[in-house]
Amino acid sequence: MSLAFLAAADSFTFAELVKCPTAWALVLAIIGLWMMMGVRSLTGFAALLGGGRPAEPGKTLRYGKTIGGLLLVISLGLFGADLPWLANPAAQGLFWLMAVVTLVAAVGCIAAQSPVYSALWFALSLLGTAGLFFLEGAQFLAVATIVVYAGAIVVTFLFVLMLAQPEGHAPYDRISWGWFPRTFSVLAAGAIVAMLTLLLGGLKDQAVAAGRNLTAREALAAAAPNKDEKGETPVLAPPQELNDVLHPQHMARLGGYLFTRHLISIEVAGTLLLAALVGAVAIAIQGKQRDRVEQALSPGANHP
Amino acid sequence: MNEVSLLYNYLIVGSLLFVIGLIGFLVRRNMIVMFLCAEMMLQGVAICLVAFGRFHGSLGNPTAWDGQTLVIFMITVAACEAGIAMALILMLAQRTGSLDSLVWQDLREEGQPAYVDQQVPEERAEDQVWPTLTPAGREPLQSEDEQTHRSRV
Repeated sequence: MSLAFLAAADSFTFAELVKCPTAWALVLAIIGLWMMMGVRSLTGFAALLGGGRPAEPGKTLRYGKTIGGLLLVISLGLFGADLPWLANPAAQGLFWLMAVVTLVAAVGCIAAQSPVYSALWFALSLLGTAGLFFLEGAQFLAVATIVVYAGAIVVTFLFVLMLAQPEGHAPYDRISWGWFPRTFSVLAAGAIVAMLTLLLGGLKDQAVAAGRNLTAREALAAAAPNKDEKGETPVLAPPQELNDVLHPQHMARLGGYLFTRHLISIEVAGTLLLAALVGAVAIAIQGKQRDRVEQALSPGANHP
Repeated sequence: MNEVSLLYNYLIVGSLLFVIGLIGFLVRRNMIVMFLCAEMMLQGVAICLVAFGRFHGSLGNPTAWDGQTLVIFMITVAACEAGIAMALILMLAQRTGSLDSLVWQDLREEGQPAYVDQQVPEERAEDQVWPTLTPAGREPLQSEDEQTHRSRV
């Protein structure tokens, strides 16, 4: 059972649905997300898990977030079991790393109770997205995502901090991290270095093969007659490149495409930015003036 | 490298991101978090667009860059949206003193019942933890213990 059931939805039966890991992954993801959101008043479920003891309403399920997180990780694994696997394990590993970081941070963003932590999780999710863009061959977009969105995130973060008025502090910076995070970080660093080494090795092999291919092609072109009977130069097939997107002069190609084919769209986008800027300033100033007028007109504001 | 499975993987990650953002937008009540969830949905669409562009683009094909170009315009529109939304949210929060979108439920349709909080969870002490930055420009307190442990070389 693979992803093909998504395309051929008309021809599946209940037994196939039971055997399909994606269906179970969806069910587990729903339950896990539900528990991660900090569900209150889970009376029946909590009584079931708590040994028959009826839980009072309004109480959060004990260890609910941990269990929910574990269920989400298991569902991610089930999703992965149903995916078609790639030949290159290094690129696969990097992709999975980025995908898991993105999705886990996204779940943390919508599950965090404090908006400040929500914004921080969202920033982490954006970093994962930028990594996915890098893997997809969109280098400019990856950097632009970090710059633009991280800037917006800093602004959002400051707004939340200004509006929510932080109260209370905790000396959690002094807490030692313990043995598990240390071991895990060492293992993760080793895995990242190993995957990067494998990936770079694969890229070098590809480059060597491409160079050999190009040399053979040039030799073939030199050996071939330069003109056929009509006097036209023979059309050479372009060298085997994977994709135009993967060209070494990525930025130049992208800029050339953007400023020739989409020139008017660029102008429209610039106008939109200007209009949004003026609109935001107008909204902010008008709100402030109206507040000031209301404050001046309110009773008791006459005396200085 | 199998390009089709690559496309599948990116599409699945993008759609999952979109769905998570959608759930967050429907579930959360804080206006800034709702805004973040909308941005997350945009990110999911962007991943799908770039993956489609990578899959369909080939050398010499003029549409090879279309996915990335579309995402660039999407980022532009998202930046505009961020500016306007922040101005609006700031105004609404100044007017009511709260970021809760439930404050504005007077704007609902006529026949719709009002949503009333049945049970508000009590604020616990561990909910009041905020991230802090290290204060700059202050001299740390020197303790006797630290002085004795410091090497005097």
